[in-house]
Amino acid sequence: MKVEGEHLFSGTQQQVWDLFRDTEVMAAALPGTKKMELIGENTYEAVMNVRVGPVAGEFSGQLVISNEDHPKSYTMTVDGRGKPGFMKGVGDVILTDQGENQTLMAYTGEVQIGGKLAAVGQRLIDTVAKSIISQAFETLNNSLAERVTAEAEGREAEYQKSSESDYAASVAKDLIKNVLKRKDDEES
Amino acid sequence: MTYKVIGKRVKRVEDPRLLTGGALFVGDVNLPNMLHAAFFRSDYAHAKIKSIDTSRAKEIPGVVGVYTAEDMGEAWEPGPPLVSPPPTLEGVVFNSRRQVPLVKDKVKHAGEIIAVVVAESRYIAEDAVEEIWVDFEPLPAVTDLEKCLEQGHTLVHDDLDTNLAAHLVQKKGDYEEAKKGADLILKRKFKLDRGAAAALENRGIVVDWDQKNQHLMVWDATQSPIPIRNGMAARLGLRTHQVRVVAPFVGGGFGPKIMMFYAEEMVLPWLTMKLNRPVKWIEDRKENFYATTQEREQVQEVEMALTKEGKILGIKQKIIHDTGAFNPYGLTTPLNTQSHSMGAYDVQNYNSELFVVFTNKTIVTPVRGAGRPQGIYIVERMLDIASKELKLDPREIRRLNFIPKDAFPYNHEIIDQAFVELVLDSGNYLPAYEKALEKIEYDKFIKEEQPRLRAEGKYVGIGVVPFIETTGVGPYEGARVAVEPSGKISAATGVGTQGQSHMTSFAQIIAEELGVEVEDVSLVSGDTAEIHWGTGTFASRGAVVAGNAVLAAASDVRIKVLKLASKILETPEDELELEGGLVKVADIPDKSISLGELAVLANPFRGAVEPGTEPGLESTKYFGPAYGATAFGVHGMILEVDPATMMIKIHKYITVEDCGTMLNPLVVEGQIHGGVSMGIGNCYYEKLHYDDNGQLLNASLADYLIPTSAEMPPIEVYHENTPAPNNKLGTKGVGEAGAIPVPAAFAQALENALLEFDLEITETPLSPNRLYELLHKQED
Amino acid sequence: MENTFELSVTVNGTSYQKVVDPRTLLSDFLRNDLELTGTHVGCEHGVCGACTILLNGDPVRSCLLFAPQVHGQEIITVEGLGTVDDMHPLQEAFREAHALQCGFCTPGFLTTLVPWLEENPNPTEEEIREAISGNLCRCTGYQHIIDAVKLAAEKMN
Repeated sequence: MKVEGEHLFSGTQQQVWDLFRDTEVMAAALPGTKKMELIGENTYEAVMNVRVGPVAGEFSGQLVISNEDHPKSYTMTVDGRGKPGFMKGVGDVILTDQGENQTLMAYTGEVQIGGKLAAVGQRLIDTVAKSIISQAFETLNNSLAERVTAEAEGREAEYQKSSESDYAASVAKDLIKNVLKRKDDEES
Repeated sequence: MTYKVIGKRVKRVEDPRLLTGGALFVGDVNLPNMLHAAFFRSDYAHAKIKSIDTSRAKEIPGVVGVYTAEDMGEAWEPGPPLVSPPPTLEGVVFNSRRQVPLVKDKVKHAGEIIAVVVAESRYIAEDAVEEIWVDFEPLPAVTDLEKCLEQGHTLVHDDLDTNLAAHLVQKKGDYEEAKKGADLILKRKFKLDRGAAAALENRGIVVDWDQKNQHLMVWDATQSPIPIRNGMAARLGLRTHQVRVVAPFVGGGFGPKIMMFYAEEMVLPWLTMKLNRPVKWIEDRKENFYATTQEREQVQEVEMALTKEGKILGIKQKIIHDTGAFNPYGLTTPLNTQSHSMGAYDVQNYNSELFVVFTNKTIVTPVRGAGRPQGIYIVERMLDIASKELKLDPREIRRLNFIPKDAFPYNHEIIDQAFVELVLDSGNYLPAYEKALEKIEYDKFIKEEQPRLRAEGKYVGIGVVPFIETTGVGPYEGARVAVEPSGKISAATGVGTQGQSHMTSFAQIIAEELGVEVEDVSLVSGDTAEIHWGTGTFASRGAVVAGNAVLAAASDVRIKVLKLASKILETPEDELELEGGLVKVADIPDKSISLGELAVLANPFRGAVEPGTEPGLESTKYFGPAYGATAFGVHGMILEVDPATMMIKIHKYITVEDCGTMLNPLVVEGQIHGGVSMGIGNCYYEKLHYDDNGQLLNASLADYLIPTSAEMPPIEVYHENTPAPNNKLGTKGVGEAGAIPVPAAFAQALENALLEFDLEITETPLSPNRLYELLHKQED
Repeated sequence: MENTFELSVTVNGTSYQKVVDPRTLLSDFLRNDLELTGTHVGCEHGVCGACTILLNGDPVRSCLLFAPQVHGQEIITVEGLGTVDDMHPLQEAFREAHALQCGFCTPGFLTTLVPWLEENPNPTEEEIREAISGNLCRCTGYQHIIDAVKLAAEKMN
């Protein structure tokens, strides 16, 4: 399954780069994350609660950053397993300075899923993946704003955690939006 | 032969219990003190097992044990090879690899079992399965049939240096020579993909070891209880009389339930003997998609040489057949493909090279059709393509090539799945073909209907395809028939029943021979305590092989009845009649004796049985045909495609089938209807989607679409009768016929509906998405 | 059992009081606790229809209900439609038309059709096809089932 998209952040390229390499920020951004720890130089260990339609459960695995071209791009490799199945993914993240304190973050990647998740979750996976990513970006953008403000105010940043119920609500919203969009496409 | 009971539309004797919820299926077996098993199955299609942690699972209250391959110790061994390659074929490369009870080192397909939990309830057992953790080292999965034979490709089996499971070549005549005289040489590549049998009842097994009696009782939803009994006894070190296997009512077989020594069938008997308690396992639907065998995936390169009139000079073929992770069933399926790649035609030159490959997918064993649909598909597609290239009517090209009726028995010389030369025993193809064309009103459709509908903006097309089906193969089956003191008849045969109506159609044979009512015949099938020798229900052979064994046994009982009655009634045998459960003297209605009384007399409490006679009125006989009986049929359909949605609607569906003598026309029709519904599923709605990781992406009935009544058209069935010369009943099999030609007929009809798009279909199954892709590819 | 539920339910006219694990599916409750094995389980995800029973007269999938959900309700299973000696006209029609082969899906068709036929005493083939499109059968291709429904409609009027 291909995963790609882009998001505009309100920050400099360096600030966005730092944001993405901040473990605490990342843990807060991804909904359902129970744990994220830096265990090696570029390796994180994570435990996440995943829900795709009727399939839910805990996933644990590793996230490795490689091919770093600071502060422009890097590659991220994910390998996770849990009761609902397994997931493997590899993606490239590219940051481009848009000027005026804006940075465009573009990502493309391939995700492979297996087990129950693949067998039963197929038709939902696309929407759910996009939902997770878009919600994560929203949280990250907020985190970035908070980080910038905190720096300016000379205090510790307080990152708002992405809640699972918010996430579930946003997935539901996205699913409905998708259906309505398809209906619109058909009618037009 | 004019029959009184055989050939009649008799109501089934097994129905009342089935209709009122009183019939026993394996899932209904409930024993005191029974435990339930659940399995931890691999998500990965190809992975090494580094460690297994069952400690948390064992702690759950209600769990009796959690076992892995290590716990099985010496009892662990792979399943036996069921079918070896034909000894009659030379130069066969065959690498036998069979499935294992519990995986030891490396998982070879998603769904393979790594651990088993036994608990007081299935619910608790499944809770425990969730607590098992296995540390895997995932490996790249072998999924591409063509690439997997390349040098350096990942191997499914590390102890082999290749993914080749088998290789052989079959030849008839000399294709290369014949090709020199061709006006047209066509070459095409075909892709055929997997489908599941998806019987409504999933598999299941209940085992009960009685320590005091040293006896193992097994209920198994299997198509072959006798071989299961034999194999289980051997594996467990028991004598055959210590094991009894019962296949009760089975909710649909369609092939995969003849696969023997599934992992679960190896694990459960070990468990019950270890724990000394009955153990039950019923497969759930998701497991069924991974763990029950599937079929149909092949890649074929086909070459056909023809004259400009359309006469086939020869066929050359390369088949790559996917056997999945293991090949316990030998070469049965792809040999069937070869046997049907010449279709119903007089093909003098044939050269077919077969490669069978291992992949990291579920094991492949026959599913209704068992390789035959693939053969018929490619030959009929090639003829359709040839008729377009040669600008011939697709009907003419078939008529020209049919095996003429005086050419039977027709020997194709290649070896078929029964290990003998492929001999088509009898047939009369042309009249059946013409009948089909007439019933579907082919001419009228092409000349009037289609243009009219096209003018209305509708895309409607017609497809008519003839086919043969090899049926009724050996080795043999047996039957026992006995008259009871009550005058009723008890009978037994080894072929299990999964809906084929054996209890009725075989009872009809007995009723015919012995002059009793069908309801007075009680036939047991699928119980190893009732008959010791037999193979099972497969390859459309029940009626032919078991049916003729029933006839032989019943005839023998009739002889005994007449001999005894003649003595008692002091009348010559040729003046006696069997009717209404009595033996009567012709023309003297008062002089008669009932079968029951005769049975009592034949089993005296005192005195002596005459030397050279057997006591009672009972007989056990076997029937083993030298070669099978070849059925023939023609299917035709008219379908409409909506080019916007790609949805199809079949408006008309007709079949002409020739299965020789019909035992019960209701049953024959039912088999055809069911086969057609499976065939239609195989065309457009059913496809098992595997990704490059060997992951099944549609393992539920929500995404694997079995045709409902809304997809099914009404089906008209017409009969022809070319009796089989090699069995007394003159009958041929018909169990798989319905499914065999459907994809070929569908492709023809679809191309015909979309004529202006000049579509050439070389793959099956299709789907709305795929059809869209194919049509739009044309545009690019 | 840690968590239990005291279930009260009427099945085929008989009242039952049973203590159950609250997550027991209704299909398993009927088959295992009450030993009414006529209701069959084909998929456990609500698609095949083999587990269909009548809940207060309406056909529902028993595999998609938990036993406590039918507390105080009335259920009819295939065993309640007729007996071997006294079959419902629909059951007889199924037999005459050869509408069952392996018989596994049959109870689900019967429970679906019995109330439907009472409301649709004179159905067309199209209507019948739609009415049974929620029940899967792998053996019959549906043709003889449709014949049976037409026959039953005649018998019932």
